[in-house]
Amino acid sequence: MKDSINPLSPLDTRAIPCTINGNDVSLHVPPAKRLLHVLRDDLAMTGTKRSCDIGRCGACMVMVDGAAVNSCLTMAYQCSGKSITTIEGVSAGGMDPIQRAFLEEGGFQCGYCTPGMIISVKALLDHNADPSPLEIEEALSGNICRCTGYGGIKRAVQRAIEWRKEGYESGND
Amino acid sequence: MLLNRKGSGARWRVRPDGPDKVTGKLAYLTDMTNPDMLIGRVLRSPHPHARIKAIRTDQAAALDGVHAVITHKDVPGLNRYGIAHPDQPVLCEEFVRYVGDAVAAVAAESAEIAEQALKLIEVDYELLTIVDDAEFALTGDAPQLHPQGNLLHRKTFSRGEVNAAFEQCAHVVEETYYTPRQMHTYMETEGGLFIFGEDGRLTVYAPTQHGFMDRMQLSRILAIPQSEIRIVSSPIGGSFGGKDELNVQPYGALLARVTNRPVKFHNSRWESVRAGLKRHPMKISMKTGVDGNGRLIAHQVRIIADTGPYATLGAEVLNFAVEHVIGPYRYEHVDVDGYSVFTNNGMSGEFRGFGGNQAIFALEGQFDRLAEKLGMDPWELRLLNMRKPDDPGPFDQPIAQTEGAKQVSAAMTASSLWQERGKHLGAEDEHAEPWIRTGVGAAFTMHGAGLGFGIPDPGAGKLVLASDGKIEAVFSYEEFGQGLIATLEQMLVEQFGFASEDIRIVIGDSDAVMDGGSTTASRATSMMWKSLQNLRPLFEEAVLTKASAIVELPAGQLRFGEGGIYAIEQGSDAHAAERLMTYRELAVAIGEPVTCTTQFHFPTSTTDLVGAHFLYTYSAVAVKVEVNQLTGRIRVLHQYHAVAAGPVINPQGFLGQIEGGSSMALGFALTEDAVMSEGQYVTKNLDTYLVPTIAEHRGTIDVHPIEDLPQEDNHGPRGIGEVGSVTLAPAIAAAIYDAVGIRVTKLPVDPEILLAASVDQLLEKAVSGE
Repeated sequence: MKDSINPLSPLDTRAIPCTINGNDVSLHVPPAKRLLHVLRDDLAMTGTKRSCDIGRCGACMVMVDGAAVNSCLTMAYQCSGKSITTIEGVSAGGMDPIQRAFLEEGGFQCGYCTPGMIISVKALLDHNADPSPLEIEEALSGNICRCTGYGGIKRAVQRAIEWRKEGYESGND
Repeated sequence: MLLNRKGSGARWRVRPDGPDKVTGKLAYLTDMTNPDMLIGRVLRSPHPHARIKAIRTDQAAALDGVHAVITHKDVPGLNRYGIAHPDQPVLCEEFVRYVGDAVAAVAAESAEIAEQALKLIEVDYELLTIVDDAEFALTGDAPQLHPQGNLLHRKTFSRGEVNAAFEQCAHVVEETYYTPRQMHTYMETEGGLFIFGEDGRLTVYAPTQHGFMDRMQLSRILAIPQSEIRIVSSPIGGSFGGKDELNVQPYGALLARVTNRPVKFHNSRWESVRAGLKRHPMKISMKTGVDGNGRLIAHQVRIIADTGPYATLGAEVLNFAVEHVIGPYRYEHVDVDGYSVFTNNGMSGEFRGFGGNQAIFALEGQFDRLAEKLGMDPWELRLLNMRKPDDPGPFDQPIAQTEGAKQVSAAMTASSLWQERGKHLGAEDEHAEPWIRTGVGAAFTMHGAGLGFGIPDPGAGKLVLASDGKIEAVFSYEEFGQGLIATLEQMLVEQFGFASEDIRIVIGDSDAVMDGGSTTASRATSMMWKSLQNLRPLFEEAVLTKASAIVELPAGQLRFGEGGIYAIEQGSDAHAAERLMTYRELAVAIGEPVTCTTQFHFPTSTTDLVGAHFLYTYSAVAVKVEVNQLTGRIRVLHQYHAVAAGPVINPQGFLGQIEGGSSMALGFALTEDAVMSEGQYVTKNLDTYLVPTIAEHRGTIDVHPIEDLPQEDNHGPRGIGEVGSVTLAPAIAAAIYDAVGIRVTKLPVDPEILLAASVDQLLEKAVSGE
């Protein structure tokens, strides 16, 4: 299942340079390989989830240069020079207020859509600290949750907005 | 009181499995890997119905990197599976009966090689006539798909003389209702890791809703003793009934055995769609008659359920539907005739609501239509005919008596949403566009829990003071998102007084737990609650007696508390109590684990009717919808759910189950259908299978739990895992009628039937901006 022996070997010209969760890496993978599979299979970062493989469910979302994208539709070469943040990166400095809000409001059940959902919320709030309900709807409509009916998710997003306004930062838990 | 975080106070708790879920740390079983693992793939039939003339695997087996190619010849034991009736081939021998049927399986060093190998397997098929219609299947002209023919199961129930009784009716409504092939769409598709250890035992890491059932079925297939198999089945990324039956497990286990290497499976979405279970599409014809005052006289029902090619729990789903088309009302004359029919369509099977969703949609539709004929309020008609607490159940069986029906009805009719009905309905809302109409509708459900009479339905659990001082709660139930770990922890904290840090929950591992039955049928919370009721006096006796000898106080003066054993306070100053010893100190002093177990059976009715239930949950739902007469689209605005299910054990879990269930009902009503044509799935993925998104959930959902139970009731909390998914669809249908006067008979609602007759005029208004 590995396309190269060590996908994180030092920089060379044939590799794809990018930043993953703040670390500069070179991806020694076929250029058309999907980022989802690079993350899960080559880098063993399984917080990013696989579900529909066609960009309709959002379970595999990551941030590329701050924008939420479906990693199942992103090819490795498209990551060249980009900064990628996965769910592991969101929690690297302690739990993000968004994650804390999902916990407290019960914005998840099985949890399989949750990493992608949190990525979408983070990409939204990083660009728009006070989104309207319609803007939230727009930003999250690419993330399917089959368990919650979105009630807890909507409440979690509201809570996260309030907390961020109050200056609650990562790692305060 | 409505259920929410604030009102729940300290009872609203952070789920113990939450931190790992929101940070992505939680390893699902499909996230697991092993350095030596091979990747497994299954070759499935491209044809809905064909005879296999030859299978040639030589080329595939010769491909570099392929470690095994297996066919039916490589199945050492029973080449069949199925929870209730094993009739589904693990690997087909002579016939394929649907496009998910497995013909061969491959283990290879990479997914790419495995897929290439599938392409090199040659199968010669002789195409056979496709049976893609359940009613055609029952005719003599249809090819017979199984030795017993095309009828999996027939279930009937009757009382009185229904045909004669229709003569006495003042009003009779006859209608036929159709429901869709709804897909569970758990976000985590099927998969797992299969490893034979050095001791020769098989460990299966794969989602299921009943680990011990998988163990039994796999032992039959592999021809090895059950004791040689360990099933690890949690955590799970959603199931909703869909992972109750075996899916990839037989292939993973067989390939691991043949190759002596770990094998991993993780289905693509398309493979999940083509092979997986769906909700039974049903055609339900009803004829229901009342006297001039609205009193029900006769109710005749015929159900045709398309169960697809194999049994799984198709018969049991039909039994449930037959019970629930009778429902919470009293009729003098009833005649229900249900058929679960084999076809070459996709597999139908167990799915949250279990046949109740289809049944209630039809039954509640009858009441709305009858009320209109009578010129009566539709809810008044329901109240007039609703069961009384001491009435028998739908099958005339004795049931646990509660006031649930009356309670949810009273709560719903008092809700502001229901009160709003009639204020601006049907008429143009001055604030809305002229093509928008709003309406309010309501529906009622009495939903059975547990597997019903005549089916083994055990409960079991274990409490241990472990050697390290942890209080271990050991249960066989699986966590697939519903929150049973949280519910169990909450009961241990609230009922026993432990701190959450004192507790270690052990679930979903067949080596570690006793078989407490399946995690299905809204039963797990009831079973865990009952277990703890049984275990509490035993555990107190066992542990406190040991503690008594150590602290030299009578056991009767000791109690469990946070972190250890306390003396029961004399007098008023309860907080002054000092901890006498920690659980760890106690465990060390005792020197061995203290274990208490309980085993029992889910409460059943004294009846002889298989499937008849004893415990029921009641729900009444009101909903407000907006119909856009230009597009035919419906927006659900507000929902109100009254649910009578006994005490709320876990407020966050309860709210989540009703909200989440209602979202599934919304999809069932408005958008979801796995469309098939001539036995082939037209709907292959989530681009055309439309699960509701956050944009479809604009409105609020009020959830009102009714917790009172009769004083003598000792059955505790009733199930709430399914009921939320049942009642909303008929309420939406009623609300649509309220808005635009159009009756819905088929789900999901076809927008075309809702387009205004005057759509041209409306379009003109829209274009001109009037």
